[in-house]
Amino acid sequence: MSNNKYKILLIEDEQNIQSLIEAILTTNGYQVVLSENCQTGMRLFSSHQPDLVILDLGLPDMDGLEFLKFARQEHTTPILVLSARTNEIDKVTSLDMGANDYVTKPFGTAELLARVRAALRTSRQNSAAQIPGAKFVLQDLTIDYDKRIVSVSGEDIHLTQTEFNILAFLSEHAGKVLTYSTIIRSIWGATDSGSIKKLQVNMANIRKKCGTKPGDNRYIINELGVGYRMRTDDELI
Amino acid sequence: MKKALRDLGVTLLILVLSFCANLMLQHLLGTAVHSVSVSILGVFLTSLYTNGYLWGVLSTLANVFIVNFSFTEPFFAFDFITPSNLAAAFVMLIIAFMTSMFTTKLKYQEKNRAEADREKMRANLLRAISHDLRTPLTTIYGSTSTIIDNYDALSREKQLKLLDEVRSDSQWLIRMVENLLSVTRIDGNPLGIVKSPVVLEELVDAVLQKFHSRCPNQWVVVDIPDEFITVDCDIILLEQVLVNLLENAVFHAKGMDALTLRAKFHQKQVTIAIIDNGCGLSKELLSNPFDGIHVATQPLTDGSRNNMGIGLSVCSTIIRAHGSKLGARNRPEGGAEFYFTLTAEDSENEQ
Repeated sequence: MSNNKYKILLIEDEQNIQSLIEAILTTNGYQVVLSENCQTGMRLFSSHQPDLVILDLGLPDMDGLEFLKFARQEHTTPILVLSARTNEIDKVTSLDMGANDYVTKPFGTAELLARVRAALRTSRQNSAAQIPGAKFVLQDLTIDYDKRIVSVSGEDIHLTQTEFNILAFLSEHAGKVLTYSTIIRSIWGATDSGSIKKLQVNMANIRKKCGTKPGDNRYIINELGVGYRMRTDDELI
Repeated sequence: MKKALRDLGVTLLILVLSFCANLMLQHLLGTAVHSVSVSILGVFLTSLYTNGYLWGVLSTLANVFIVNFSFTEPFFAFDFITPSNLAAAFVMLIIAFMTSMFTTKLKYQEKNRAEADREKMRANLLRAISHDLRTPLTTIYGSTSTIIDNYDALSREKQLKLLDEVRSDSQWLIRMVENLLSVTRIDGNPLGIVKSPVVLEELVDAVLQKFHSRCPNQWVVVDIPDEFITVDCDIILLEQVLVNLLENAVFHAKGMDALTLRAKFHQKQVTIAIIDNGCGLSKELLSNPFDGIHVATQPLTDGSRNNMGIGLSVCSTIIRAHGSKLGARNRPEGGAEFYFTLTAEDSENEQ
């Protein structure tokens, strides 16, 4: 069979969910490698070098976070965390430890596939901003990194320095959830108690200037209590 | 420790106050007959405003000595030998002691009643939910078994129809479980809910995203202030409330064609309302919309799944945990409105 399929490593101990995700992924043209625990997962990760990992946090042999630590030692392979926990702190922890995104159970097929596509895309072009003359395009939003110009439907938008930096940072990691502290560290350096609010005020201004309305937020997704995520064109939802 | 210090302070303060009152009355009236009753009042107040028996008893003993020392013959000397003084001290001790017992018991009962109320609500919810869980589970189990057992005999259309029902029933179950999780999230935390500031606009956006993915055909009119407003709340729970209220309107407000989410900011308070122009709320629902009983007692007449009671009682529980109240009313121009008020903060742009 063709070898140019994306290879996805699925680490999940529950049989039903495992076969469900495998069915979803294989019918959509991905190659799936299965593991039921963390240990095997680490071994398969090293031997198969997958393009993406889908990781369940509640594993029988050790906490899924251990796998994150292991994988992030020398790899940037996108990792999608699958979690039954609705706790923001768990989400923030796994994101800060290097996960790209999380999907909360129960999830829909469309949602899972959208996240997979977005994560794969991240790994393809996460260095786009470093290439001279590179532009970021998402629907009708364009970011010109060199000229520091943002435009919506061809019309230039006047952002402050900080606002542009935030938007550029989010777009460089489009498809990945960035926690508040990650963004703050990259834009202002140190974190203090007031900085989340500072970030939120800037985000409100960006939304206002881009003309997005609540419920019709085309470019940036609010992950409440966690952070922000720039959409990618691959997402349909 | 902090509590004990506070109680000690209260006890001492009341002791000093009652002593001063006694002195003043004695000075004004020239007699000390009132001293016992004033002291008992002091003990009563002490028991009322402190925790447990200890402080009431201590205050009683202190008062017995004070009265004996300052307000009975011989003045400013202890005298437990004169029979009348001894009797007075004894009676006072008993009265004060019993008062203290009584007030403590009263407080205890009050606490118990609040606990019982919560317990009753939880029981209602549980009853309503377990009653309602059976129907979708029957459908899911039955439909999937039918498909597996008669895979070749069933037409494609029939299979798809059965599977579609399985899907919608499991979606309903997901909603139900989310509600249950919300309740445990409140009950499970001894310190109550954990509040953090959330930007109103971002909250509304997340709510609408979630709502639109479930009810893609219902447009929502959004009417919120332009200012940067943050609301102090448990984000996941408040999101749940708003999604619940919007979905309730879709499922239950018959004849609705306009659904509005409105927020008004006024003096550090934001009032959020979900407004529809459907059939409105029935009388019995209006009288007591949030106790979760309706589901269990009302037969499902139209065959549609009815989780209104549960959704609403969860909403009400969540809002109450935020120190506010969920209100419901029929609008004069038709349709229903659910609303609640939370403390909020607006801020100037700081950059």
